[in-house]
Amino acid sequence: MAKKTIVPIGPYHPLLEEPEFFKLYCDGEIVKDVVWETGYNHRGIEKICESKTFEQVFYVVERICGICSTSHPFAYANAIESIPGVEIPIRAKYIRSIVGELERIHSHLLWMGLAGHFLGYNTVFMWAWKYREPVLDMFEIIAGNRNNYAMFTIGGVRRDIEEEKIKPLQDVLDKLKPKMDLLVGAVMDDPVIHARTKGVGVLTAEDIHDFGAVGPTARASGVDIDIRRDDPYAAYDLVDWKVITMPEGDIFAKAAVRLLEIYESISIIEQCLKGLKKEQEGGIKNKVKTIPPGIGMGRAEAPRGEVFHFVKSDGANRPVRHKIRAPSYTCIPTFRKSVVGGTIADAALATAAVDPCYCCTERMAQAYDYKSGQMIYNAADLVKLSQQKTQVLKNS
Amino acid sequence: MAIEDLKRNVNEKFPEIKEIEEVNKKRLMIFIPRELLHPMAKYLFEDLKYRYVIVTAMDSQDGYEIIYHFSDDTSGWVINLNVLLPHDKPEIESLVPVIKGVEWIEREIFDLIGITFLNHPNLKRFLFAESWKDGEYPFRRKHTEEKK
Amino acid sequence: MSLKEKIFKKSLWLFHLSAGSCNNCDIEILDCLTPRFDVERFGMKLVGSPRHADVILVTGIVTKKTKPRVLEVYNQAAKPVVVVAVGACPCTGGIFAEGYNFAGPLDKVIPVDVYIPGCPPKPEAILAGIVKFLNKK
Repeated sequence: MAKKTIVPIGPYHPLLEEPEFFKLYCDGEIVKDVVWETGYNHRGIEKICESKTFEQVFYVVERICGICSTSHPFAYANAIESIPGVEIPIRAKYIRSIVGELERIHSHLLWMGLAGHFLGYNTVFMWAWKYREPVLDMFEIIAGNRNNYAMFTIGGVRRDIEEEKIKPLQDVLDKLKPKMDLLVGAVMDDPVIHARTKGVGVLTAEDIHDFGAVGPTARASGVDIDIRRDDPYAAYDLVDWKVITMPEGDIFAKAAVRLLEIYESISIIEQCLKGLKKEQEGGIKNKVKTIPPGIGMGRAEAPRGEVFHFVKSDGANRPVRHKIRAPSYTCIPTFRKSVVGGTIADAALATAAVDPCYCCTERMAQAYDYKSGQMIYNAADLVKLSQQKTQVLKNS
Repeated sequence: MAIEDLKRNVNEKFPEIKEIEEVNKKRLMIFIPRELLHPMAKYLFEDLKYRYVIVTAMDSQDGYEIIYHFSDDTSGWVINLNVLLPHDKPEIESLVPVIKGVEWIEREIFDLIGITFLNHPNLKRFLFAESWKDGEYPFRRKHTEEKK
Repeated sequence: MSLKEKIFKKSLWLFHLSAGSCNNCDIEILDCLTPRFDVERFGMKLVGSPRHADVILVTGIVTKKTKPRVLEVYNQAAKPVVVVAVGACPCTGGIFAEGYNFAGPLDKVIPVDVYIPGCPPKPEAILAGIVKFLNKK
């Protein structure tokens, strides 16, 4: 459960000064230990789900996280539909995958912007978020809302993507590709970014295994896992795509994995749109009368990794128990490995590289002196340190 | 590992297993006594290299059910270890020595249901504010005699 | 003379506070800074400390752990300050109001001047809400 909030830190987005999530204990420049405290965003969602009907739970889990708003309903749908074993229509599979991949694009672009901000490249922040807007417009056309789409229902989806919506969606994707090339070129070839991110915040495959980390964090350390391929759902086994991995495990690898995944997502959406054109309009839902007693475990690949939902039903119309595991829950403890031993200036960047979901964690870090226990930097300072280091590298 | 091979190996290595059930498509539940948790978790996590997913705790009619979820990413199966603890003695050995990643979830279960994880390196309050009353566990249920 | 002319002689400095949100509203607030909405052309900018703030934007239900922080931030802010509840959560608690960790809604903790409902409210709605309040006579 523990759906925690993150407040991104920095001059463009001020943080909560008081509640510290991370305390970095530092000896001079080096981080010696990380201690964390959490619970600021604990909203009791799993318990709330126990008092909702199975259909109503979709609307609750959507609001666990603002960025991975579709991933939780996706995993929950996989879980709840597995109990009676219902298959959803092919058209619904395509629509679910389209919404899931659009979300991946918007989430990775959002991350790109924040990473740029932490590095001190505020132009990257502005560009990435500007190119994100047409994607949100598409959500508004498909679902009626820029965030919180309410597209999922038991047995299928709630709204169709009609013929007239397919062309505007394709246009958005066509316009996005050259912008992505621009962004990737500006970021990936920059020598200062190389200096700041290569070899920094490294996680080995063994670290990934120890903590159960998932998603781009794991794939950037060479661990080849992706739920869309390993435990296929929706339309992912109907289209061609590849899993992106990088061997180095540093921040640069994590960024590269995310950027390249955007291209894969665009390709998946295009194939799904072609698939939609072949299916007849309508027929987006198979009716499910009741959920029998049983256990369902559903998974989905969110932008940050595997989302896992466990649902137990006893034949009534509400879940007896609903356990939710967001990917950041296992990715964030890896800070212990990637931040400890590094410098304070790299700490803000290393924590951002894992892309802690805003709502799954709180990212308020403060740095303390190891010997005296005195606080020396607050979170805004940590971001400034990171940006200053970039400046120094640029000028040298 | 193919699922039939896994079932066979597990039955051979750990004859004290209570039951193995395929609760759903590609979802296996292995019901074990408390003493088997460490050796079985070691086998799944260290020998077979299954991925640790999360731990679910429930207050069921017969006791507190703690389910440890593992993922076999080569086959897409989720392999689960199910331990039942009696209502009057909700404690179990912490799995942190085997899997570093369970530290947080054990603290969360401690907060929400009140299970004590013995030898946990840092079993403190995790989610709740200091003002939260001790002994209030939101996920504990009242079980009535009629239900039995 | 409107409130704007009376009190806020220069451009507005906003402080954003998340009291336990899903971050949808936080992202929409950040979106206001980005080129499409570009709130900086009105002189509004986000600042890092409540002491410099003219407006406090609060998102999220108030959870038991964030309640003392919310009070502290409010006390630190130099008065007069405008408190804006952004989103359904601080206005009423939304779907989380029945949760066991709910300690709000926001106006039971600190005085609220503007309510902007929505889940999340679009950036246009957020800006419209603030502007409407400022033009109030």
